[in-house]
Amino acid sequence: MTEKRICRIEDVPSNGLKECEVDNGAPVLVINSGEEYFACNAICPHQEVPLCEGMFDGKVLTCHMHLWQWDVRTGAPIGLAEAPLEMFEVSVDDGWLCIRASNALRVASLFEGIAQETLEKINAIAEERQCSEGEVLYTVGDPAEELFILESGRVEFLVGRDGKVTSGGFMVRKGEVFGWAPLMENQKQRVAQATCKEAVTLLSLNGAKVREILEEDPRSGMKVMMRLSSLLTKYMIAAGTS
Amino acid sequence: MKVKITSRAGEHQFDAEPEERILYAGLRGGLSLPYECATGTCGTCKARLISGEIEDLWPDAPGKKNLKSDQGQFLMCQCAAKGDVVAEVSQFVTSLRPLSGAPQWCEGTIRNTRMLTADVMALQLELDVTLGFEAGQFMAVEVPEVKGLRGYSMVNFSTDSSVLDFVIKKLPGGALSNWLFSGSRDGVRARLFGPLGVATFHPDVAKNLLCIAGGTGIAGIMSILDRACQTRHFDRFEGDVFFGVRTPEDAFYLDELAAFQAGFPRSLRVTVAFSDQPATDEIRSRYPGIRFAEGFVHEVAGRDMQGRFENVMAYLAGPPPAVDSSIRLLIMAGVGADSIKYDKFS
Repeated sequence: MTEKRICRIEDVPSNGLKECEVDNGAPVLVINSGEEYFACNAICPHQEVPLCEGMFDGKVLTCHMHLWQWDVRTGAPIGLAEAPLEMFEVSVDDGWLCIRASNALRVASLFEGIAQETLEKINAIAEERQCSEGEVLYTVGDPAEELFILESGRVEFLVGRDGKVTSGGFMVRKGEVFGWAPLMENQKQRVAQATCKEAVTLLSLNGAKVREILEEDPRSGMKVMMRLSSLLTKYMIAAGTS
Repeated sequence: MKVKITSRAGEHQFDAEPEERILYAGLRGGLSLPYECATGTCGTCKARLISGEIEDLWPDAPGKKNLKSDQGQFLMCQCAAKGDVVAEVSQFVTSLRPLSGAPQWCEGTIRNTRMLTADVMALQLELDVTLGFEAGQFMAVEVPEVKGLRGYSMVNFSTDSSVLDFVIKKLPGGALSNWLFSGSRDGVRARLFGPLGVATFHPDVAKNLLCIAGGTGIAGIMSILDRACQTRHFDRFEGDVFFGVRTPEDAFYLDELAAFQAGFPRSLRVTVAFSDQPATDEIRSRYPGIRFAEGFVHEVAGRDMQGRFENVMAYLAGPPPAVDSSIRLLIMAGVGADSIKYDKFS
């Protein structure tokens, strides 16, 4: 997406919120916080509630429906929120507020809060891929070399084999990370099948290279590993089949 | 019937009885399915049908207003499986074991109906079994004469009870309340599902309690106060209760609230707010331990609590606009989202 003018800055209330329509796209929420402007997807990542109906104190945005909260500077979740806001890059041009889509890496919660320099290095090895509906990204037993970050579309997972296959869930949110095996030790093979259920855009990252980059910046590496283990725990708890 | 739910991180299977709501079948099977009101008004239990056939037991449910039915979306609390069904839920769903705390179906008999005001009735349901529940939880209730279930919060609290107290307001056009208020209903059998709801109080909550209730929303707050007084919570923590009704004639449970307050005269404060009329001298002299104020309950609470929001656990109940106003008040006062508890009914 190229840069788009979406509203005049004087139309955004001071320390307030304004929902803007965007041609051929989901509505965007523009946020004023003191001297700064931010913009994010106007719909709550939880349950399709308009965020302009939420509460905003100048720094923290709260969805009124289930009280998910975010830091509007970064989109990072606070408290009960389980997903970040999808933030846009913002600039002001001649009194117009302009937005540009962030790349999925910048909204991926796995990498949220790591050093900018490290994020740039990871960004430099990211390759964008367009996949068509029905394409199998990997299947059980395939070598696990890349991890993926979803940009758009829907990916579904199957676990098990030999006639005993069950659903391993699905991913639909920009910035969700999957195929994380190459970030771990001795996980050389895929243990699930990942299939694109619609046209999918994703970023693919070479796992070994990501590990190398993170080893050079252990503080960021630690953050990523903590997030990864929390993510795995969440999936392990949820996957107890009944 | 077998129901398979695909969630964000995998699938879960459970059995459903004929005409049993998919939400209820899943909850009693120990799944953490998303829901709030469980009775068709809020829309939280939205799912998407992948295969199989379902029957919509309440096609006009208000909770359906944001559903995309052309994409197969439906409310799990209002739909029953008509055979094996596969559906998708967009949240993480976990399987809870053991099942001891899971909600269940039970039956009971209506007893001791009595009028508390011109349009509020108290009644008891004497269950055939004992039921464990947390203070602040509710049951979905149905009677044979009226279609569908309604959610009512328990007023009393005991760890294992076979008698549940409820209060019910006469609503214009409310089928169940009209039936209840139009004749003697003592002895009528009812079917219940529960306990439900997450706006619960447990003695481990090491915080001051702030309760803001409008109308019959006081029901769950009474249960919370009952438990908090039983466990002497107010020996260690402060308590502030704000109860809003329109006029002095609409007030009820004042004897019970005064008794809670008298047990902890220094740490528990009870304020009753009248939105339409000032308090009468009579009510003031009759309840010296209760403070009376004029205005909407969240406004009265906001003024009174100024500077005292730190370390509170807030419980909100009542009509949705009143609960929304209280939420806004608390969030803007800096109370953390994890310290605000409510279940939305309408």
